Amino acid sequence: MESLVFSILALFLLAGAIGIVALKESIYSAMSFLLVMVAMAGMYALLHQSFLFLAQILVGVGAVVVLSLMIILSINLRIENLPSQQITPKKIGFVLTMVAPIVIILFYAIGKTDLSFAPVSQEFGGIKLVGSELFSHWVLPFEVISILLLSAMVGAVVLSRRRLDSDS
Amino acid sequence: MEVLLSLIVILPFLSSMILGLSYLIDEERKLGNTYYTYIAVGVPVLITLFSFILIAHMFPQSSDTTLYAHLFNWVSVGSFTIELSFMLDRLSLVMISFITFIATLIHIYAVGYMREDEGFGKFFAYFNFFLASMLLLVLASNPIILFIGWELVGLASYLLIGFYHKEHSNITAANKAFIVNRVGDFGFIIGLGVLFITLEGQGFSFEAIQNGIGGLSSSTLTFVGLMLFVGAMGKSAQIPLYVWLPDAMAGPTPVSALIHAATMVTAGVYMVARFGFLYNEIPDIGLFIAYIGAFSALAAALMASFERDIKKILAYSTMSQLGYMFIAVGLGAYGAGIFHVFTHAFFKALLFMGAGAVIVALHHEQDIFKMGNLRKHLPKTFITMLIATLAITSIPPFAGFFSKEAIINHAYLSENYTLWVMAIFTAFLTAYYMFRLIFVVFMGNVQREYSKLQPLGRWMSIPLIILAVGSATVGFLGIGHGFGNFIALPDRSIEDVAHNTEYILMGINITVALIGIVLAYRLFGTLATPPKADIPFKVFIMRKFFVDEFYDRLFVRNIRGLSSFFDRVVDAKIIDGVFGGLSLGYIEVGKLFNSFQNGTVRHYATYFIFGVSLMSLGLLFLLEVK
Amino acid sequence: MTPENFLYLAVVLFAIGLVGIMLRRNLFVVYLSIELMLSSVNLILATFARVQGDMGGGIIALLMIAVIAAEAAIFLSLIIYIYRTTKTVDSKRITKLANQEEK
Repeated sequence: MESLVFSILALFLLAGAIGIVALKESIYSAMSFLLVMVAMAGMYALLHQSFLFLAQILVGVGAVVVLSLMIILSINLRIENLPSQQITPKKIGFVLTMVAPIVIILFYAIGKTDLSFAPVSQEFGGIKLVGSELFSHWVLPFEVISILLLSAMVGAVVLSRRRLDSDS
Repeated sequence: MEVLLSLIVILPFLSSMILGLSYLIDEERKLGNTYYTYIAVGVPVLITLFSFILIAHMFPQSSDTTLYAHLFNWVSVGSFTIELSFMLDRLSLVMISFITFIATLIHIYAVGYMREDEGFGKFFAYFNFFLASMLLLVLASNPIILFIGWELVGLASYLLIGFYHKEHSNITAANKAFIVNRVGDFGFIIGLGVLFITLEGQGFSFEAIQNGIGGLSSSTLTFVGLMLFVGAMGKSAQIPLYVWLPDAMAGPTPVSALIHAATMVTAGVYMVARFGFLYNEIPDIGLFIAYIGAFSALAAALMASFERDIKKILAYSTMSQLGYMFIAVGLGAYGAGIFHVFTHAFFKALLFMGAGAVIVALHHEQDIFKMGNLRKHLPKTFITMLIATLAITSIPPFAGFFSKEAIINHAYLSENYTLWVMAIFTAFLTAYYMFRLIFVVFMGNVQREYSKLQPLGRWMSIPLIILAVGSATVGFLGIGHGFGNFIALPDRSIEDVAHNTEYILMGINITVALIGIVLAYRLFGTLATPPKADIPFKVFIMRKFFVDEFYDRLFVRNIRGLSSFFDRVVDAKIIDGVFGGLSLGYIEVGKLFNSFQNGTVRHYATYFIFGVSLMSLGLLFLLEVK
Repeated sequence: MTPENFLYLAVVLFAIGLVGIMLRRNLFVVYLSIELMLSSVNLILATFARVQGDMGGGIIALLMIAVIAAEAAIFLSLIIYIYRTTKTVDSKRITKLANQEEK
């Protein structure tokens, strides 16, 4: 049963990923990205990470995807502003050749491992466990991340600030 | 004694360095001529004194006593050593005696001759350098040191011929002398090399060579003898390497007197005499040498008979007399040959110095047909040159008679009649052209008005007189084989001669000379007509047998073409092309790398991933191999 | 549903993201490919958390999501800024870092 879900989700993931890369219109890429985010959430769920599943949906879809779509739409690109791309098969081949060794070695490494899922309690991945871990062992990264979020917010505001004398 | 011997060579080198350095440092010419004179003349005087002392020392001793002065080992490799040491046997003793004496006189003469010249100090630096090199050559105890001296005199000759370097033709003449000499030197080196190899390291001094000669095959000896003679051909201006000698007259007259008359050109004769023990084993080569000498003598005499330039006449005369010397040493009469070297030094130096006096007096006029009737204006010069001319035409009792006659008679008595006839005919020509010179320059009824003649100084006239005395008297040293016995060279003996034959031969020589004089008088005694190139025979001779043109066609043009080819094609296109191509390649590669740094971050990302993928590949291989 | 499967999947996703960065010039697509790569790493983290039975991986993945959010903000602001100044989102035309004399 789980294998079936996994396969379906994997399929969605792959389809979405290829969609991001291969589709010409930005909107379509964004849509594929949405698919990827949702399917990823599903993967987390499969891995017994319930809180992560929730967070992924909330942030990944609710924030990232929405934001991307908003920007894409508001930029109001005309066709002529889009890159005139000629993705020749030669280029694809070249890039694939470059990426292939990385993939191969990673596959090889994975193949050498012998992993199995450990038995976990029902609460594993649940919000209670996440909270206790987060605020005991992982407090420092938590705080640092909050600073990071602060700076990102400031940066975003600065970057998108309109100058009074510039035209958009 | 050994110290004196070493000093004879070392002192002039030292003085030449001092003179040269002084000249270089003294840019404003504050040092007067006197400073240079003291050093430049003082040293030769000292040297001459030393050689006289050595003569006195060596005279009473036995004829094969040799004095050695060892300075240091120059090269010492395993069992092979080249020592820098000097050897004084009878032969080199005789050589240094007249070399130092005549060189001293010519140095004194040059003080007067060169007194106006700005390069006075430079001249004497070169002059002393030459003297030192010549002495090194003559006193060398092994052929390698001899060769060093040989080369150095060639260098000195080059420096001195091109002394008036502002005139381009003088430089060309100096180059010609050096290059032709070089050709000869090439042969000399080959001969030396073969000799050395075949002797197989039994030491290489003259003594050792003499001892080891017996073991060599006849063909080796022939080759070596021939090659060594090639060097002598160049140095002593015999056919075919004589073309530099007339051009060498471009140098100042003291140079012509010392180098190209009395000393350097006789180095070839000296060398043959020094290697006499070798040439005695190969008499055929000796005969060849004699014939070369005879032909050179004859050709030179012919060319002199039609020459106008006073110095060139004397140059051809030198070549001619050198031919006689080679006839002598070629036939194994080393004593006679060296004797002629000895007497010739006296009267030839005198002739050149007299000619220099005439040239200076007439403000550097050298064409004899622009002279005439000078005996009234330059009496001292006239008398001395007359004496020298009588000597060279072998009129008794002057010096040349004894020495030349010894050679000519030897040719007859050793049954080389062709050589004898050639020598006789050349003697006739010698008398003819030398007296032609005297008549045209000093006599004649030409009423030429000379603008103010430059007076001779005492510096120039005293050496003339001394040499005149010498030319008149030194011949007597040869009476009764005195000279030959003294010098004790390994002459090839000839059968004893009846007195009658001797007198007849003597008579023939004198008659022939007188005929030449009379002919010259008839043609030039009163009216001096320049030679005209009317009949082809005359043209041939007056154009010097077209030898220079021949050499130019055969060698000079081809070598020049080859050099030009190398310059235009090989150097410019091929070699420069390679290097240009290399640097262009570097530039292109640089441009290529430049294009990578184009600021496009995407490209940078690509490079990044490329690197990572390469590393993964590497990692894969490593893991798989393991 | 073995752990290895998850890992293989994550690697493939990562590779696809890599390809996307190298291939596409549209800045949006570049951004989304980066997100894809980040997500694949998250998947690996989650997988190992499940394998080890240790929540640490999950926590990291959680924090990563926060980072993703921050990054989204910045990146998209940048895109707006670039679009405002150069009127294009073609990364090839944004060459301010390049050596000006060459082109």
